[in-house]
Amino acid sequence: MKIIGFYKLLIIGLLCLPGLKSSGQQQDMAFIEGGTYKPFVKGDKEEVPVNAFWMDKKAVTNTDYQRFVEANPQWSKENAKRIFADSNYLYHWPDSGLSQHSGPPDGAPVVNVSWFAAKAYCEWQNKRLPKLHEWEFVARAFPKNDVSADSLQRIISDWYSNRLKHDFLVGSVYQNTYGVWDMHGLVWEWVYDFNSIVMNNDGRNQEEMPEGLFCGSASLNANDATDYAAFVRFAFRTSLKGNYNLRKLGFRCAK
Amino acid sequence: MKILKKRTFAILLIALLVIGFNSCDDSTAHQETTASCCSTDKETQSDEPVSLSDMSVYHLDGDWHDQNGKQLALKDFAGKPVVLTMFFTHCEYACPLLVHDMKGVEEQLDADMEYTFVLVSFDDKRDTPERLKSYADSQGVGENWVFLHGDANQIKALSILLNINYEALENGQFAHSNRKLVLDQGGAIVFQQDGLQTKPEPVVKALLDLI
Repeated sequence: MKIIGFYKLLIIGLLCLPGLKSSGQQQDMAFIEGGTYKPFVKGDKEEVPVNAFWMDKKAVTNTDYQRFVEANPQWSKENAKRIFADSNYLYHWPDSGLSQHSGPPDGAPVVNVSWFAAKAYCEWQNKRLPKLHEWEFVARAFPKNDVSADSLQRIISDWYSNRLKHDFLVGSVYQNTYGVWDMHGLVWEWVYDFNSIVMNNDGRNQEEMPEGLFCGSASLNANDATDYAAFVRFAFRTSLKGNYNLRKLGFRCAK
Repeated sequence: MKILKKRTFAILLIALLVIGFNSCDDSTAHQETTASCCSTDKETQSDEPVSLSDMSVYHLDGDWHDQNGKQLALKDFAGKPVVLTMFFTHCEYACPLLVHDMKGVEEQLDADMEYTFVLVSFDDKRDTPERLKSYADSQGVGENWVFLHGDANQIKALSILLNINYEALENGQFAHSNRKLVLDQGGAIVFQQDGLQTKPEPVVKALLDLI
């Protein structure tokens, strides 16, 4: 009887193993069923397909990032090569590295990280940075508990005008219908192909900016905070370089 | 009207950077970083093997293949000045002009001068080493012209390192920045030129300054 009980437990245990493993992934990441969307820069003309993928539910925290730095000393504050991360890299961390008694709270999103650093972190996790269209696709989803038409716009406009009240921890602003937290309202986030917005730098029109941004900007109006926010995000991305580290710019990974 | 839109864009962008992100400090620091990249040139000139400065493009790991199928890393270019650009061979308009511009630079250089021209393709699918070989042959360029094929992830990382924007279009073409960069013997960017049908003199001068 005892033996049967033991085997029963063993079998149940073995059956649960793969289940536990996959539910581990489901805890941290949300499955995003693909679809199409109209990216801001393409105007109303073009729908872009987005394939199914997994997205981190929360932005990477200081604590997460510290584990990465410990395992990859070439990414410590003092060792990182300036071509991959300029002198503002981990500016908010004490020089000696993060400790319990100093620096930002554990659950705060890591910021002051460059694109190269964010990419290296995700690859270390066997993940990758989300592509621009993937990120935008997820960012369009409504808050889980409030799918009224203007709920997202309110979060964004409160954020832009510094009226948003939260404690600057990941998982503190809102969760969307995919189960993904804080796509707006916490920090700006790196995307893999942020440099896919092509400035026409042909010598003959140096001043030329991406046409989509102007088509978009021309159609902006005060009632459409979502489009305005998209405009700001695209403009922001065109101003970035891969080794920049900004104090409101973090990231999350995808798979 | 167009100018007005540009201004609106510029104002928004500035407002965004200055107010929205409070990043005045950041942008100053970026300038300092850029300046410091070029002050290390002198150190990397003479000694062999070349020591790579913190701002060397050659820190980017990864294997590439040239038009002869030879596997190499970017740091294998250390030791000689490099003119680097990104292109693709199915390009109908801009890239022939980019290559033409590079030839214009070469025409003004002494035959005994040592340098490498490196052209990295955006097109990881179609620009195989074989394809690059036939392209190189069709252009009639010398041994010091190296055409590189890499995987999509490496191409992305290099483009971001060089601040070259590109987007794969549905018709198989790539929209991309047209940028030529001069790298010193240690792989630090010392000069860049944007545009097409550009004057060769500034690139030539940047190269001569390295010797």
